[in-house]
Amino acid sequence: MNKIIRLPVILCTTTIIAAGALAIVNNLTKPRIDAQKKAALQAALTQVLPRAKEGVIVPVKRSGKLEYYVGYARKDTTNKVGYIFIARGKGYSSTIETLVGINTAGIIEGIKVLHQLETPGLGAKIVEIRHGEQKPWFQVQFIGKRKDDLTVDKDGGTIQSITGATISSRALTNSIRQAIEELEKKIGGFAKVDNRVKPDGKNGIPCITGATVPSLSPVRSTGKASSDR
Amino acid sequence: MSLWYEFSKGIYKENPIFRLVLGMCPTLAVTTSVQNAIGMGIATTFVLFSSNLLISIIKNAVPKRIRIPMYIVVIASFVTIADLVMAAYEPALHKSLGIFVPLIVVNCIILGRAEAFAGKNRVLPSILDGLGMGIGFTLALLALGLVREILGNGTIYGYPVLGSGYNPMLIMILPPGAFLILGLYLGFFNWLDRKRKVS
Amino acid sequence: MELRALFVIVIAAIFINNFVLIRFLGICPYMGVSKQLDSAIGMGLAVIFVMTLASFATWLAYYFLLAPTANNLFYHIFRLSCPPDLTFLRTIVFILVIATLVQFVEMVIQKTSPALYRALGIYLPLITTNCAILGVTVLNVDEAYNLIESLVQGAAAGVGFTLALVLMAGLREKLETADIPEALKGTPIAFIMAALMSIAFLGFAGLSI
Repeated sequence: MNKIIRLPVILCTTTIIAAGALAIVNNLTKPRIDAQKKAALQAALTQVLPRAKEGVIVPVKRSGKLEYYVGYARKDTTNKVGYIFIARGKGYSSTIETLVGINTAGIIEGIKVLHQLETPGLGAKIVEIRHGEQKPWFQVQFIGKRKDDLTVDKDGGTIQSITGATISSRALTNSIRQAIEELEKKIGGFAKVDNRVKPDGKNGIPCITGATVPSLSPVRSTGKASSDR
Repeated sequence: MSLWYEFSKGIYKENPIFRLVLGMCPTLAVTTSVQNAIGMGIATTFVLFSSNLLISIIKNAVPKRIRIPMYIVVIASFVTIADLVMAAYEPALHKSLGIFVPLIVVNCIILGRAEAFAGKNRVLPSILDGLGMGIGFTLALLALGLVREILGNGTIYGYPVLGSGYNPMLIMILPPGAFLILGLYLGFFNWLDRKRKVS
Repeated sequence: MELRALFVIVIAAIFINNFVLIRFLGICPYMGVSKQLDSAIGMGLAVIFVMTLASFATWLAYYFLLAPTANNLFYHIFRLSCPPDLTFLRTIVFILVIATLVQFVEMVIQKTSPALYRALGIYLPLITTNCAILGVTVLNVDEAYNLIESLVQGAAAGVGFTLALVLMAGLREKLETADIPEALKGTPIAFIMAALMSIAFLGFAGLSI
């Protein structure tokens, strides 16, 4: 056979065989990879909104894009316990993405940093778990806070910022505060009563469906900390 | 040329990192901790072993002129397998190694061994060569990861070893630390060599 | 807004996340080709050229052949019920695209511009196994950049690589005459210098753009 034809044919055949072998491996591992991803998402969601653990967490989408999640304490979606959303803020060297669980009265129940590439040892301490502790100490501070409490100590607020990493601390704190404001607009305000006290099944907030959500933009903060270094 | 030699040369005498100075990108990038170093070492060893095995089997059927692209296809396939398996069973490690998992393809050690060894030798020496090189690579990563994690974070494999009073030398787990420690290691091995030659 | 986003990508790829000194991509050519200034410049130009082309070609390959989008060509040609997800072939397809591209570029340059071929020719074969090229194409996909953003990141990454390479080559030429310990001569001192340059580049991380 002509060499000019033979060589590419051999190369193509090899590539096709390789692709076939990879397709098999892909089929074998795909269910597990998908299950891992789903489990990781579910774990993160229930971690920030623990009371929805026994119930369901329903994503609210608008034109295919995720807006936020609504968490219910029961499977039949009667007892709404709160919302979960992703806050994004520009930190020192990366965009910090945080999953935030908030109850119907607007009180933070839990947060989890999903993505950050801050400086190791400084900004990356937003995810640091001190030895002997279970949860990252910086994030634990947010539990039980309302929107208005969310400023770092250097700005006169209640969140204790990380030494040497004010920009990262402030970016995270401000992004959550702004994301809560966005969420408030979308859901038409929080309930006056803290339903953690009286979980009575109905809490008076009109049920939100995807179609009536006003804003479209993802919950994104543009608030980069201005100065201070 | 004994089989033992083919296996052991990769560990010290021709160590891919400290002697041949190959595969620098993953070496510098993933050695921020012992855990990452081990994960990357095992994945690379798997690819080296498998590609050396397959290439030494098919070497006579491969036309000389297209051997390099053929080798690349073989290597890329094993890298993808390692990538998928790692994503399925060790998702946390997979995430922390990031793009350096697919980049095992362009690790010069692997194509280098395929071209310089597996393409010319029989099956048994080839797999021993692959294993030895892989282990040598892993040990070198470990040596770097250990120093960087102890100095930069005060821990080994996540366990604190230097006590709470230790103030970590951050620079060690930042990019400059990688270059510095590797440079010092290379200097150290040069020094050992020179000393041996003199005596 | 669009322009601002592109500007951020450029600055990030050249300075803040310099491909060589911060991301550790393309270390082998960085150490191998930085002994002389001339060859460093030649290599740098070749890398910029191939990176931009590779960003373009792999972006098309990914979104029209591999990713499960409505544009997937297999979906249209074979009239499948839903777009196939072939993303597991990413590594193998990208490396083949890059290898083919390098071969092709080499042939074209050789035929059309002998002068350019003399300048870049010897560096092109080395580029296939330059992990910065595969690295930038994988990053483009991981960060879900569009075609323009991918092209910009490809070119800027090449410029960042060239910058690091040329700086290093300038330093190493001076180093020839410097008095350093015997054991550190050659590669070890080059790595230690790279560490110092990396410290300098870390300073860019604080840029607020």
